[in-house]
Amino acid sequence: MSFLKNIFVLIKQVPDQGSKAGVNLDGTIDRAKARRMLNPFDRYALQAALDAKKNYGGQITAITMGPPLAIEILFEALEHGVDNTILLSDRSLAGSDTWATSYALKKTINYLGEFDLIFCGLQTTDGDTAQVGSQIAERLNIPQITYCEDFKIENEKIIARRVIEGGHQTLKAPLPCLITVANSYKALKYKTIHGAKLVQDIMREEEKKNKYIKILNINDIKANPDFLGIKGSPTIVSKTEKISEISGNCKILKGSKELSLELKEILK
Amino acid sequence: MKEILVLAEHVDNKLSPITFELLGAARSLADKLQARVACFLLGYNIKDQIQALFSAGADRVYIAEHPELKDYRTLPYNKIISDYISSLEIKPHIFLIGATTTGRDLAPRLACKFNSGLTADCTELDIGEFDYNSKTDIKRSGLYKDCLYAIRPSFGESLKARILGPWNNPQMATIRPGIMLPIKPIENKQGEIIEVPINLTKNDLEIEIIESFREINNEIDLSSAEIIIEGGYGLANAQGFDLLRELAGCFNNASLGATRKVIDEGWMPYKYQIGQTGKTVRPKLLIACGVSGAIQQRIGIQNAGCIVAINKDACAPIFRFAHYGIIGDLYHVIPELIKELKEF
Ligand SMILES: Cc1cc2nc3c(=O)[nH]c(=O)nc-3n(C[C@H](O)[C@H](O)[C@H](O)COP(=O)(O)OP(=O)(O)OC[C@H]3O[C@@H](n4cnc5c(N)ncnc54)[C@H](O)[C@@H]3O)c2cc1C
Ligand SMILES: Nc1ncnc2c1ncn2[C@@H]1O[C@H](COP(=O)(O)O)[C@@H](O)[C@H]1O
Repeated sequence: MSFLKNIFVLIKQVPDQGSKAGVNLDGTIDRAKARRMLNPFDRYALQAALDAKKNYGGQITAITMGPPLAIEILFEALEHGVDNTILLSDRSLAGSDTWATSYALKKTINYLGEFDLIFCGLQTTDGDTAQVGSQIAERLNIPQITYCEDFKIENEKIIARRVIEGGHQTLKAPLPCLITVANSYKALKYKTIHGAKLVQDIMREEEKKNKYIKILNINDIKANPDFLGIKGSPTIVSKTEKISEISGNCKILKGSKELSLELKEILK
Repeated sequence: MKEILVLAEHVDNKLSPITFELLGAARSLADKLQARVACFLLGYNIKDQIQALFSAGADRVYIAEHPELKDYRTLPYNKIISDYISSLEIKPHIFLIGATTTGRDLAPRLACKFNSGLTADCTELDIGEFDYNSKTDIKRSGLYKDCLYAIRPSFGESLKARILGPWNNPQMATIRPGIMLPIKPIENKQGEIIEVPINLTKNDLEIEIIESFREINNEIDLSSAEIIIEGGYGLANAQGFDLLRELAGCFNNASLGATRKVIDEGWMPYKYQIGQTGKTVRPKLLIACGVSGAIQQRIGIQNAGCIVAINKDACAPIFRFAHYGIIGDLYHVIPELIKELKEF
């Protein structure tokens, strides 16, 4: 069966929190020094897009918004077998919250044209909001299925299982539809030989690079700069502080006898 | 009068705990602002729940009843709530929604409709002012009063961020379940009921629910457990939990919990996980055995009435916030403790 045309997958580069590099003493992250990685949640979105293509056809375009270095994760996506990639990069995007990010990504999607399915990760490890996907669906005025852990397409509708508290739910939605993929979805498989070779070629040949990686700025997508960056974001971080040490007066007990006496007091 | 709005959630027409937690949080913000608390209830044959909302702190209930609203679905709920709020001349000042799979599905779409800022998964709320002074953002600079302070852990949770969105009402946040305290129910409290118009189109109804499955679980739910025995990586293997089960047996109704490292190792199923990416708990007593007390873990247990830590490393961070500690090997300490508790 091959009836899908365009599949979009949205991925983001995030600082690697597992590595100590670039983590300041006060806990903030120096993004220039921090190691970078593909947002772990977006690996599931990538696998879902690859599965959709394998089973139902179509071309996959991976889209990211970020600084020029974010091109690294587009190489990674190509290695895994996506067909095209887009980097939206512009100084005026810096500091965008989810409202502004979803606006910019929606404009990028409009620029690209028609699509059947958009896959997003559940959340990012740096923004950590799980909001961007639903906000893009709202702006595109299309249905969404969030927390998706499995899906199939039948009679041009998507049937997807989503996680809910203490269980799961199966929904049926028409296309086009936006899916956010839960981390209970299948893990991302290995890179493909074809993809790895393609990326090697891209590194050598500028022309090939331009074919597979398209770099856009906000004029290309006709975005209104007033809606972008810090100025365009309806939220602002007014203060960050280290989480306080709660008590610092832990009573150290010598042994179980003392503890069992205390426990009896507490539970009285 | 300013209004603080919360979204009611229910399963099979039974109000979910998050509804009461949101009402509790809204009540304490409302008292600071001299505002009223309102609750948006969508469902079918659900009017009999209204009194419970009043008793839990609501002064006003907006109700939308329709067979298509029986169970939560993104588009119809989104349509009815946003149509109604957009029609109001004075928007609610604040709108709080649970950070559940329902709330996190819906809130971002609503925030887009209202052009409101939305802070995800908050663990603390407050009211305060904001003196904004930006050379690049002159238009919006100024002194803002009565702002919602939405506070949440960030950057892997070694930091707390206070996030504001004072420029547009409603100021919105989703609230992590299990953190806010409901008020003590006020019996027979009265309130105002407002029926909300329902205009659903074919497009709003195009997602179908094929089935919903929820585990009916006879075990005690961790989020409401009074006593929790938590195991960490220090147990060294899955069998370690047999010892913890024995310890749990010394108490009435104690539940087991675990750290993420334990879950990752496959020693316990995910539903036992406590912490940032697991459950938030608020037991009277939590005994943490072989748990180091990483920040993501601490987020989940810091509301416990009493934390007892058993860990062989005196420098483990958990001793910085536990109330009682024993420094020692849990495989020595716990069997002794079981003996002591049994003797009593
Ligand atoms: C984005 C993100 C989200 C996360 N979410 C969560 C979450 O929800 N929940 C969570 O728990 N973690 C979470 N983590 C992981 C967290 O950072 C820690 O890695 C984890 O909590 C550590 O688990 P632990 O305490 O069991 O293991 P360890 O850190 O390995 O600690 C084991 C402790 O046992 C002690 N010990 C060893 N042997 C013995 C013995 N015989 N007797 C007594 N003590 C002994 C050791 O001294 C040590 O302190 C998250 C991490 C990230 C990055
Ligand atoms: N800058 C970005 N570029 C591309 N996709 C993004 C970006 N930010 C967020 N997303 C997508 O939205 C999802 C949720 O992100 P967040 O709301 O930041 O937690 C991510 O998993 C991505 O799929």
